[in-house]
Amino acid sequence: MRRVPRVLVTVAFTALSVAFFVPMIWMVLSSFKTNAEIFAGPFSLPTGLEFGRWAEAWQMGGIGGYALNSLLVTALSVLLILVVGSAAAFAFSRYVFRGRGALMGLLGLGLLLPIQSYFIAQSRMFTELGLGDTRWALIVPYTAMGLPLAVYLLKVYLDALPAELFEAARVDGAGDLRIYLQIAVPLLKPGIATVAVFSALSCWNEFLLALLYIQDDGLKTIPAGLLAFSSRYVTDYGLLFSALSIITLPMIVIYLVFNRQVVAGITAGSLK
Amino acid sequence: MRPHKPLTPYLFAAPALLVFAFAVLAPVLATGAFSLTEWSGFGPMTFTGLGNYVRALGDDVFVGSFLHVTLYIVVTIVLEVAFGLVLAGVLAARRGGSPWFRVALFTPVMLPMVVVAVLWSFVYNGDFGLVNASLSAIGLDGLTRVWLGDPATALLAVCVVSGWVYAGFYMAIFYAALTQIPPEVIEAARLDGAGEARIFARVKVPMIRNAVEVCLLLCVTGGFQTFDLFYVLTGGGPYNATEIPTTYLTRVVFRDGEVGYGSAMAVLMTAVVVLVGIVFMRLRRGRGAEA
Repeated sequence: MRRVPRVLVTVAFTALSVAFFVPMIWMVLSSFKTNAEIFAGPFSLPTGLEFGRWAEAWQMGGIGGYALNSLLVTALSVLLILVVGSAAAFAFSRYVFRGRGALMGLLGLGLLLPIQSYFIAQSRMFTELGLGDTRWALIVPYTAMGLPLAVYLLKVYLDALPAELFEAARVDGAGDLRIYLQIAVPLLKPGIATVAVFSALSCWNEFLLALLYIQDDGLKTIPAGLLAFSSRYVTDYGLLFSALSIITLPMIVIYLVFNRQVVAGITAGSLK
Repeated sequence: MRPHKPLTPYLFAAPALLVFAFAVLAPVLATGAFSLTEWSGFGPMTFTGLGNYVRALGDDVFVGSFLHVTLYIVVTIVLEVAFGLVLAGVLAARRGGSPWFRVALFTPVMLPMVVVAVLWSFVYNGDFGLVNASLSAIGLDGLTRVWLGDPATALLAVCVVSGWVYAGFYMAIFYAALTQIPPEVIEAARLDGAGEARIFARVKVPMIRNAVEVCLLLCVTGGFQTFDLFYVLTGGGPYNATEIPTTYLTRVVFRDGEVGYGSAMAVLMTAVVVLVGIVFMRLRRGRGAEA
């Protein structure tokens, strides 16, 4: 049997993982350097751990403001997706009604359609309605884009619950709203957590609409904000590396702590 | 279950349907209507029938953009799906190993693509970038270049970044699928004297065929919709060498103000994505594959 020795695999994967992280390690090291040091030697270590540039990027550079906008837009979008999406999933899963298949099919279109199929007209529409350059110009499309998958996945979870549960509640005299709130929602918690993870990440990372719909620098989210930041400080590489580090490191820490949930959430979200 | 009141299911489903119809379905139809006109976004619209479509098919940049994205998809299938499959195969073959390799290689997936792109624009930087510095360090000064500014290397350089992000993602999916294979099957193959590589290619991969197909679909349809990476790294340049449909039509609409023409390109692109999706589902259903 020609099995590759275990040690060799471990060594190879360790090397690969390290190589994988080299760009990020270099990013953090460079954030402590001056431009001259960055140009002098990309592999050299910084002379000291000076966090002054990080603070500068956060406050004067406006990264803090962008982060707050991202937080607001993401939180509201995810909340709307979960509330509106779980209600629709409940209707589609537990009730038989006229037009159910057609309405589900309509929503299912959202799983196939690329952003490009609607964003041109959407941007005109938002401008006409006075939504342009407001947070709603992001929250509304993020919610609409997130709903099809959220409804689909939550419906799968609800379908798996035994019908007797709901029938029993009905016999006990519970109304429709009460059945949804007191039986469906509590049992849906694992599904809601999964949907929340991938919805939050896709809102947090969305760039195309954020770039096109928001001109006001005070309303920009992190992806579009970082781009504005990088054209504002084009050649101040130390500051740019600091901004990148501030954005990246907290996300990596959160990921390392909750890696199982994040991986499960993202893969469930993309496998449909 | 029968609703308590007949209207109930509609009330529960209405908010989701209304938001979706308002923000997605209505604009899809309007984009289709725009595509038949010449319009700057303001002022009068002129109906031009299929004129924009004829123009798009004769537009070298647009046709080229499809070639570029096809090339990008082919390369990323190798760098992401195939490489991810091999990584998963090696990791899954030694059960009980450290989960941290999987955790590490998955990290870039969760970062915003714009952040990744800005970071890699520095990695490729001609003056202080990691790539050139590494080449110089091992004495290959002759190979250093402005990677993203050279039409010969720009597209490949973008593909590498994409591979860096998604190889770990596909690895995670394949790993999960591989660990579902019953050990007896592999044991039987091993008793028949098959080597590890052979078991992987002839037994394991066919058994996770479903996951492989879904990943290929994701890579193809996702590839067509890529925008962030190209926009930030190259903006379609140099000399349109990395122009893809999404960057080109965004520029035509939002910078050049040609709403009608851009809409026609958007409709064509949507048709390709939807068609690929439908053909794929038909093929799978035809073979009777489980979802």
